Amino acid sequence: MTAVDIALFATVIGSIVLFGGAAVLALGWAFRSGQFSNFDRGAKSIFGPDEPIGEPTDSFPDMNDKRS
Amino acid sequence: MATTAALTTTVPQYSARERAQAAAERAAIDASCRGPVLFFAASAIVWLLVGSVLAILASVKLHSPYLFTASPELTFGRVRMAHLQAMGYGWLSLATVAALLWQMCRLSRAELVYPKLLICAGVLWNIGEFLAVVGIIMGDATSVEWLEAPAYAPPFFIAAVGIVSAWTVAVFRRRREQHVYVTQWYILGAIFWFPWLYLVAQFMIFWSTAAGVVQPIVNWWFGHNVIGLWFTPVAVGTAYYLIPKIIGRPIHSYYLSIIGFWSLALFYSWAGMHHLIGGPIPGWLASASTVGSMMMLIPVLAVAINHHMTMRGHFHRLRYSPALRFTVFGAIAYTLVSVQGSFEALKDFSEVAHFTHYTVAHAHLGVYGFVTMIMFGVFYYMVPRLTGREWASSTLIRIHFWSVAVGISIYFAGLSIGGWWQGRMLNNPNVPFANIVNYTLPYLFSRSIAGTLMTAGHLAFTVLFVMNVAGWGQQRAGGPTFFVEPRSDTARSEQLVGGREA
Repeated sequence: MTAVDIALFATVIGSIVLFGGAAVLALGWAFRSGQFSNFDRGAKSIFGPDEPIGEPTDSFPDMNDKRS
Repeated sequence: MATTAALTTTVPQYSARERAQAAAERAAIDASCRGPVLFFAASAIVWLLVGSVLAILASVKLHSPYLFTASPELTFGRVRMAHLQAMGYGWLSLATVAALLWQMCRLSRAELVYPKLLICAGVLWNIGEFLAVVGIIMGDATSVEWLEAPAYAPPFFIAAVGIVSAWTVAVFRRRREQHVYVTQWYILGAIFWFPWLYLVAQFMIFWSTAAGVVQPIVNWWFGHNVIGLWFTPVAVGTAYYLIPKIIGRPIHSYYLSIIGFWSLALFYSWAGMHHLIGGPIPGWLASASTVGSMMMLIPVLAVAINHHMTMRGHFHRLRYSPALRFTVFGAIAYTLVSVQGSFEALKDFSEVAHFTHYTVAHAHLGVYGFVTMIMFGVFYYMVPRLTGREWASSTLIRIHFWSVAVGISIYFAGLSIGGWWQGRMLNNPNVPFANIVNYTLPYLFSRSIAGTLMTAGHLAFTVLFVMNVAGWGQQRAGGPTFFVEPRSDTARSEQLVGGREA
């Protein structure tokens, strides 16, 4: 086995560990930090006081102009 | 249907002060990322035009091969590679960066810090792109699809991508919104996966060369994952932000959207080897890829069901919102192209479709019908909010939409039909090869017409963008341009949400 082969194997094995490891860590963090505990709140997190649920954001000034 | 949708949603009441505060915060966030996002967006559009010219040239040369034969720079091989570079790493990647930066700032509710360094990243990316396209035209291309850029271009890409990824993570770490929205998951996945894929592919193919059959394996592991783990996550994530935001209704099933993200992360990277079905690679490798490709039906159907159910009862808004129209077109194309892709990975299907124009049609339905259309959608939504100016002409938007929508439809239909019969005839030893070539000519001609239509749309889009950034468009205090004034719709929405103060 040459040095090149070893470097290539290290890349492949390293990738598997890094890709897989990162996914496991991210998933673990998401569970611990409660990202999956309230899906309803999650879905609504993109809405706020200036662009609330029920108001289309592509709309006319006389309706709900919130473009800053 | 609209009644059910609106009544099941609890609408919180906000005071005028709360609204003003939130609007000011959003304005500050948009202002912080304005420079780099508009720079990435503008340079993306430049490469869209360059890529379109190269595309038409390549397409015409397939049915009129004697065009520009005196010029080695304009041979099909070079022009086609340069087209792929200009579109893949120029238009699509730069548009993807613009979209992901803006959305990450908004969703994290955090300002972008040191925006000038991101502009440097944009400059580096453009230098790399220029070197790649000109280098290929001058004959320096490598023979690796999706990695054709000559050796002097990748260092610029790597530096630029590194800065973009680091800045996106920096914005995420400064977030004020504690919940990580599904779009952010997709963006974080993309900015982690792409630099890694690119580095590993460069390393294993060019720097420390993997021998023999391992090279195409690495090549298609990379080539397929650029689509699936770089363009797709950002485009799908964008649809997950834009559709609910534009129609003012949360995602139908947030749970399903999370399942969609994690199943994409789990299965997509398996799928690349279906490009090598029938090639000299170990049988189990191609089979595993076919399994991975079929498993992709899970995330794809999750996204399809979710987007459809979110839009249900709100399809009439497609008349009013250009951004929604492009985004929904892209989302539908995503479902079509992904389901088609899963079945194309089957070995029996590949026997006919592989190495024909059918595959080219499939590829364009993906990168154009799906990704490009969603990028147009996010530009229509994002740019007026960054420049504070309205789109100048809804006629031009209409021209843009219809020429690219009709263009990609002709493109897909022509090459799918022609390519399928081309494959059938190639499998029949009694059909002379020259007959097959002649048979495909009308279909190739239809592609040139489609490409010209799409380019006309790109020109309309460029004019709109330049007018907007230069401040030529009419200045409006209101939201983005509508095709039709949705007054009756407005009245109905207000009625449905219980006469809430607008």
